[in-house]
Amino acid sequence: MGGWHRKHIIALKDLSRKEIETIFETARNFKEIAQREVKKTPALRGRTVINLFFESSTRTRISFELAAKRLSADVLNFSPSTSSLSKGESVIDTIKNLESYHPDIFVIRLGLSAFLDTLKRYTQASIINAGDGKNEHPTQALLDMFTTHQIKGTLENLKVLIVGDILHSRVARSNIFGFQKFSSSVRVCGPHTLIPYEFEKMGVKVFYDLSEAIKDVDVVIMLRIQRERQKEVFFPSIREYVEKFSLNPQRLKKAKDNCLIMHPGPINWDVEISSSLKKRLHPVILQQVENGLAIRMAILYLIGTQKKSDEDIN
Amino acid sequence: MKILIKHATVVNPTETFNTDILISNSKIIKVREGIKERVDREINAKGKFVMPGFIDMHTHLRTPGREDEEDLLSGSYAAVKGGFTTVFCMPNTTPCIDNEGLVRWVIEEGEKIGLVEIFPVGAITKERKGKELTEFGALAKAGCCALSDDGNSVENSMLFRKALEYAKMFDLLIISHCEEKSLSKGGVMRESFVASKYGISAIADISESLRVYRDIEIAKYVKAPLHLAHISCAKSVEVIRRAKRQYPYFTSETAPHYFILTVDDIEKSGFSGNFRVNPPLGEKKDVEAIKEALKEDIIECIATDHAPHSFAEKEVPFEEASPGFIGLELAFSLVYTYLVKEKILTLQDVVKKLSTNPARILKLSLRGEIKEGFLSDIVIVDLEKEWQVTEDKLLSKSKNTPFLGYLLKGLVEYTIRRGKIVYKNE
Repeated sequence: MGGWHRKHIIALKDLSRKEIETIFETARNFKEIAQREVKKTPALRGRTVINLFFESSTRTRISFELAAKRLSADVLNFSPSTSSLSKGESVIDTIKNLESYHPDIFVIRLGLSAFLDTLKRYTQASIINAGDGKNEHPTQALLDMFTTHQIKGTLENLKVLIVGDILHSRVARSNIFGFQKFSSSVRVCGPHTLIPYEFEKMGVKVFYDLSEAIKDVDVVIMLRIQRERQKEVFFPSIREYVEKFSLNPQRLKKAKDNCLIMHPGPINWDVEISSSLKKRLHPVILQQVENGLAIRMAILYLIGTQKKSDEDIN
Repeated sequence: MKILIKHATVVNPTETFNTDILISNSKIIKVREGIKERVDREINAKGKFVMPGFIDMHTHLRTPGREDEEDLLSGSYAAVKGGFTTVFCMPNTTPCIDNEGLVRWVIEEGEKIGLVEIFPVGAITKERKGKELTEFGALAKAGCCALSDDGNSVENSMLFRKALEYAKMFDLLIISHCEEKSLSKGGVMRESFVASKYGISAIADISESLRVYRDIEIAKYVKAPLHLAHISCAKSVEVIRRAKRQYPYFTSETAPHYFILTVDDIEKSGFSGNFRVNPPLGEKKDVEAIKEALKEDIIECIATDHAPHSFAEKEVPFEEASPGFIGLELAFSLVYTYLVKEKILTLQDVVKKLSTNPARILKLSLRGEIKEGFLSDIVIVDLEKEWQVTEDKLLSKSKNTPFLGYLLKGLVEYTIRRGKIVYKNE
């Protein structure tokens, strides 16, 4: 895959449309391989990928692990429990320590926003962001976009709506940056208390009423409502949230026909989405999971096989 | 010891003139042209500017408790290198400077070192917990001229009112840290589009301005003086400007980073821990408002809020970094580069902000001016010299400053305190 020059995948805000298209193109090839009987390719043989998850994750970690294994890389999973580490300094110490094994790629999930740009100074290896705080979750957004492209046939000039806890969502931020690169317009919708300050400056339209926001949209991305955040002051009750912001068949009618609904999972049924939509969502969710694997294989492949001399970008 | 400073250009708060200055021990003896006298030391100050020694109303010397980050000796070195002859150190120490024993100890240890005059600021409440008042009388007797729970606002409004009232009996100045913590809790940078874009927990500017308003209202009600620490945002400036019209008996300070840096600089640094500070850096409108307030003289002082932190506390993720910058060695050069060269303030204004006003507000007599009979606390600066901020040049034990790498104009050449040359740039 000629022309790939980026060493790290840290944020979609940094990626160009061309780079995203290259990732998609590569992912398409890997999807095809996944259908074969022998699903493994030797592309990353002899390379070491370390999955370093400072925050717990099942889906993303499994997806990355399998992606690396399918590419024949040696994979090490490391999930230091945050309690055993005295936070901050130790993130750097951990990286420095693991650096001694000369890994090629770190896949990192971290509870802190926007630290990976600093962290990359401490390693020779590439860093792939598997979700950093409330900042970005680039592979999730890429798989959402890839799924959208597959179903809609395009990523251009779509109306995309993201609903829920925008304030705390790295998925929302990455999707906004990603879809906007393809001239799609993005709307966000949620209670006032969960929309970040001056968020219109992101180039998005902000709505506080789902029935209004959903009009004529092509894609809806529903975010998970974290029940544990309720004890803070964001909204008084699930009941009230459901009434205003839950996606149900009635509200969905206002969207375009065949509107695509996605969710990064895990879903709180009957909170953010009515369980009567289960049937409609299930095939998409499975497709998202499958695409997630292909996207992560593509990224590992592009980063892992680029010539060392190209490694100066970023 | 007698020192003669020849061919000086003296900058006083209200005038600038060429003169010679004769110092004998702790006093300025003569300020006139053509002094001929046998002295121990003669300094040729041709082309240099001579000002009254700077007074920092807001320093953290980390003593007692965190001497690994700064101690009285390293803090003294840093102070005199920055042209400061008097510093006020805040009581957020371990143990807290909330009793006369510690106040005396800090003053005595400072005097033993003998480079800079160190005035401990005592705590308003025991252990700065906001529950019980400290013994103001004992603190005043031990040598405090000001009290503050720096780092914390006195949450309980009744207690704050009582503190202001009670402090009047001892002529103690209450210095207030303005932060409404229910609004700032969990936040690490100013609420702004940059914070939203990167998902960084934010602090709204009203967290400061609301408390500024409350504190001024209470001071006005009980007719007490009040000093507001490290004002950082446009909203607070607005509140101060309005309040000054009715009640001019309160004062305030800002720190250099608040008229230079913004949230955009945090973004450009890639969210380096070295850029985290409390109150947090604002936006362009805040920087502009602070400059305007300095110009109008509704913010009377520039303090450093010198806050040393060890490498381990700053070389960590932005969200986990300890807030604060060192500032003693940089303050004058930052002020000169960003306010004087940019024509926001004159050199005379700078003398006011860094020396005359703090002396007046803290009722320190015979300071803040170059005048016969005044204390011989003097700083000589070279405004032509340019220097780059690098870790190895800094005498503070800690190196945490967002200005590393900056090219600054203006350098302190000599600092003289009570007739002794306490710093000379070699």
